[in-house]
Amino acid sequence: MIVTATGLTRSYGTGEATVRALAGVDVEFPAGAFTAIMGPSGSGKSTLMHLLAGLDRPTSGSVVLAGTELADLGDKELTTLRRDKVGFIFQSFNLLPVLSAEENILLPLSIAGREADQPWVDRLIDAIGLRDRLGHRPAELSGGQQQRVAVARALASRPAVVFADEPTGNLDSKTSTEVMELLRRCVDEFGQTIVMVTHDPRAAAYADRLVQLEDGRIVRDGAPGAAAGTSRSDAVTHGV
Amino acid sequence: MRRVALRGLLARKTRLALTALAVALGVTLISGTYVFTDTIDASFDRIFSAAYKGADVVITPNDDVALSESSDDLPPIEGAVLDRIERIEGVENVEGSIFDQGGTFLTKKGEPFAAQGPKFVASAFDDERFGGFSYAEGRRPRTPDEVAIDKATARREGFSVGDSFEIQAEAPKQAYTISGLTQVAGVDSYGGAAVAQLTLPEAQRVTGKQGKYDEIDLAVAKGQDADAVSAAIRAALPKNVDVRTGAAEAADRTGEISDDLGFLQTGLLAFAGVSLFVGAFIIFNTFSITVAQRAREFALLRTLGASRPQVLRAVLGEGVVLGVLGSVVGLGLGILVASGLRALFKAFGFELPSTGTVLEPRTVYVSLGVGVVVTLAACLTPALRATRVPPVAALREGVALPASRSSRLAFPLALVLTGLGVAAMSVGLFAGLEESPALLLVGLGAGATFLGVALLSPRLVGPIASVIGRPIEALFGVTGRLARENTVRQPGRTAVTAAALMIGVALVTFATIFAAGGKSTIDAAIDAGLRGQAVLQNQDGFSPFAAGATRRVAELDGVERVAAVRFVQARVEGEGLAVSGVDTEAFPALYRTALPPLGDDSVAVSEDYAEQQGIRVGDTVALTTATAKRLELRVAGIVEDKGRLLDELTVSNDVVARDFGQRKDSLVIVGYSPGKATKAAIDNAIKADFPQVEALTAEEFKDDAAGQVDQLLVLVYALLTLTVIVAMFGIVNTLVLSVTERTRELGMLRAIGTSRRQIRRVIRYEAVITAQIGGVLGILLGLLLALLVTRTIDDFSLAIPYGLLLGLFLAAGAAGILAAVLPARRASRLNVLEALAYE
Ligand SMILES: Nc1ncnc2c1ncn2[C@@H]1O[C@H](COP(=O)(O)OP(=O)(O)O)[C@@H](O)[C@H]1O
Ligand SMILES: [Mg+2]
Repeated sequence: MIVTATGLTRSYGTGEATVRALAGVDVEFPAGAFTAIMGPSGSGKSTLMHLLAGLDRPTSGSVVLAGTELADLGDKELTTLRRDKVGFIFQSFNLLPVLSAEENILLPLSIAGREADQPWVDRLIDAIGLRDRLGHRPAELSGGQQQRVAVARALASRPAVVFADEPTGNLDSKTSTEVMELLRRCVDEFGQTIVMVTHDPRAAAYADRLVQLEDGRIVRDGAPGAAAGTSRSDAVTHGV
Repeated sequence: MRRVALRGLLARKTRLALTALAVALGVTLISGTYVFTDTIDASFDRIFSAAYKGADVVITPNDDVALSESSDDLPPIEGAVLDRIERIEGVENVEGSIFDQGGTFLTKKGEPFAAQGPKFVASAFDDERFGGFSYAEGRRPRTPDEVAIDKATARREGFSVGDSFEIQAEAPKQAYTISGLTQVAGVDSYGGAAVAQLTLPEAQRVTGKQGKYDEIDLAVAKGQDADAVSAAIRAALPKNVDVRTGAAEAADRTGEISDDLGFLQTGLLAFAGVSLFVGAFIIFNTFSITVAQRAREFALLRTLGASRPQVLRAVLGEGVVLGVLGSVVGLGLGILVASGLRALFKAFGFELPSTGTVLEPRTVYVSLGVGVVVTLAACLTPALRATRVPPVAALREGVALPASRSSRLAFPLALVLTGLGVAAMSVGLFAGLEESPALLLVGLGAGATFLGVALLSPRLVGPIASVIGRPIEALFGVTGRLARENTVRQPGRTAVTAAALMIGVALVTFATIFAAGGKSTIDAAIDAGLRGQAVLQNQDGFSPFAAGATRRVAELDGVERVAAVRFVQARVEGEGLAVSGVDTEAFPALYRTALPPLGDDSVAVSEDYAEQQGIRVGDTVALTTATAKRLELRVAGIVEDKGRLLDELTVSNDVVARDFGQRKDSLVIVGYSPGKATKAAIDNAIKADFPQVEALTAEEFKDDAAGQVDQLLVLVYALLTLTVIVAMFGIVNTLVLSVTERTRELGMLRAIGTSRRQIRRVIRYEAVITAQIGGVLGILLGLLLALLVTRTIDDFSLAIPYGLLLGLFLAAGAAGILAAVLPARRASRLNVLEALAYE
């Protein structure tokens, strides 16, 4: 398992005003799998992802990422772990406008002070198909191109797992397809583990597995084919 | 709309505080200067009013000729004058007194007082109505071996009644017993001076004024009209004395102090002006940035029906609140700083009196007025830009403000402004104008140049940043790269931030180069002129000292000759002129200059003055001396003086003693063969009796001059520090605003594994690069300024202190690091999740 979460809860606020964003989640993500997390707005998808990625700390429960128990880590170690083991893809791309596409891709390596693994970077650049635009700054790229750069950035340091929060949320359907196909290829060709939060059933269809959240609990977990419109009744909490 | 303005301000308290401080510091110096000088004025007013309260009429030496505004160093009044006054009808009582500056008082350890304040040897009055002194402890001196000293001095130096107190003035050193401690108007200190009262005959003896007086006070008999008696006295006395009523004399003395302070006041206000000028940059920048950040808010207001003038008023309203806030804080700080200024001056050896803080209404008006006007002027352009936000921008993402006409014109305007500035400075420097318009032109020219370069600098930011940023990038990798990119992201913003620092750095550079050049010029002059092995001077470096010391040295074994130089003043055609007196026999042997032989009625004229006035050998120069004597001197020669020791006119010391009433020496050149005498021997010979006189070798003399230059330089640095601090607030402010703007980016960087330390580095290096852009521009401008100004000084040896300039460049970087502390901390502490969600 690349990521294992056990008994995960997360509450916001205290007393009367307490909101339970996550009400006890147990979930595992095996290597090389592409998982989509879906659920209505406010169901706790982002919260779950933040906890899994070490961006936030659970109220209770544990997360083990690539063999490391996150609860044992301080801020510094969490940062290093994110740097070395985790890749991120955001809804709003979040590229640095002052850097070129290539520099954005290499940013995680630069931050780590590591030399780029050139053949790997070349494969990534070919995969996103933007070799001729590497010198351009994000402002000179379309939304889809920017998100493809972001995908390459997420994979540049060969992370154990990539988390994507609504990666197609800001894209039209054509570019969404491009980006989802790219993510699929990353799983198929590079064996990349990906966990993706999405609203979009068409995006979810690219995944191997669909985890459905409702009110902070997993209500369904299975193949994406049987997706959508799931109800509480067929809730499954475990396994692939 | 008013609420919108206030909301905008209160929403960001750090920014509000930083921006208000940018105004406040300049205003602080304004109000501090006024409070400081007003307080001193008031103290002296009180002292002099008390001193002359009992005197109906006061007779003093005529001070028309005195160049130094102080009347304390004038030749005394002849004793016969007193006799004549006594015979005038209506005079009830008359008393002559001594109040002589130039003596030396010794501490309990036998060393001259370290404090640089003036020291007066005075006589105690018989008539208690005169003089204004009262005895807080003990009583006045009654026998020649008694002295009364002011209570403040006694306290500072640890003397009490009954102690022994040593004085050395014209006469060799003498010990007295302290009989009492004095106060004036209930204040322990006589305006910061040390005053030692002796009996009248003893005071006259010690000061070399036997039978003479520095001042004569008289009381008019009951029923007599003071003005009438005064007129009668005036008619009966020679022209070389002034006759005034006590009140007029008090006012005159206070006026002299005010005039002296006026110079200081102008100087300090000039520094306040610079600091406000820099503050204006900060305010302009802050408003520009926030207006851009709030573009959508303004657009929304417009769609809701707000008119352009309403938007303008909303932004200017913020300016008013900020200006008032900053000015009020500045006013308050200034009152505190006034005491700080006193401490600063005291640290440099000028102890100034105070009898309680004086806050004139003028101080309040000027401080608030200037603060608010500067703030409003600085935020006018950003406010106008806010009005140009189109309503439709409210609906669009990422609005950019429309480029204004002024920004399109910025570049040509910048070139013109810079050109005009340099031209104005050149005219001021080289066109031979009167001093004050010339200074004004140079000041305005410098201001215009600063502004011009500031407007040009958006174009310079990129190139300079890439040069300065390279090494940082090479050393620190991606953090350095991001920092450099961030500085050039909005070049205008960086440029204004850097320009604010540039001004301070330019002035520091100028002062540094000027002082370094000044020192080497003095060195060169001393080398060019001095042929003696040592010089004697007063330990304070400028006051004349008893000629007895010179005689003592002349008699010393191994000393071949001594040449005393005396500096006095005269009036020529109404203009004050400096005159030097030389020992005609010894001087040419000890000083390298082709001085013609000078007789009793001849004068040598400096090359410059001769050229300026068209004077030729054989002409006659008519002048009036401090003793109101009119002299007609024949020009015996025109002197080229590479050593810059001699004044416009040079006469023999005999003439100085006879016609100018100056018997003290200002500088004495001593010639001896190194094998036969030593400086130590000279020191030994004078130490006991003339402790205020010191002997210096040529090298020490240079060091001493350099030390004086350095002291002034430190004072200038201290005042410029304020400007630099304002500029640093500017860096802090810009960075804080940029960090806010880049919250999302910072969140992303943190999410993908950038450490807090790396985030801090990015901000810190950005500050360093920005500050060093200011540093480079400032150093270049300072160099230009120094080159221009020093060209007007003949034989100025311009020495560019490369090491110091490099140090300054690095110091600018250090200022950046310091300014980055707060913004860097903010940036590194951002909550990653909130930052990622930030709009
Ligand atoms: N920082 C926060 N403070 C308070 N409540 C929060 C916070 N973040 C999320 N929540 C609440 O937690 C619940 C889950 O939120 P989230 O994980 O963002 O849901 P989703 O991503 O599925 O829309 C929601 O009810 C939301 O209001
Ligand atoms: Mg969400």
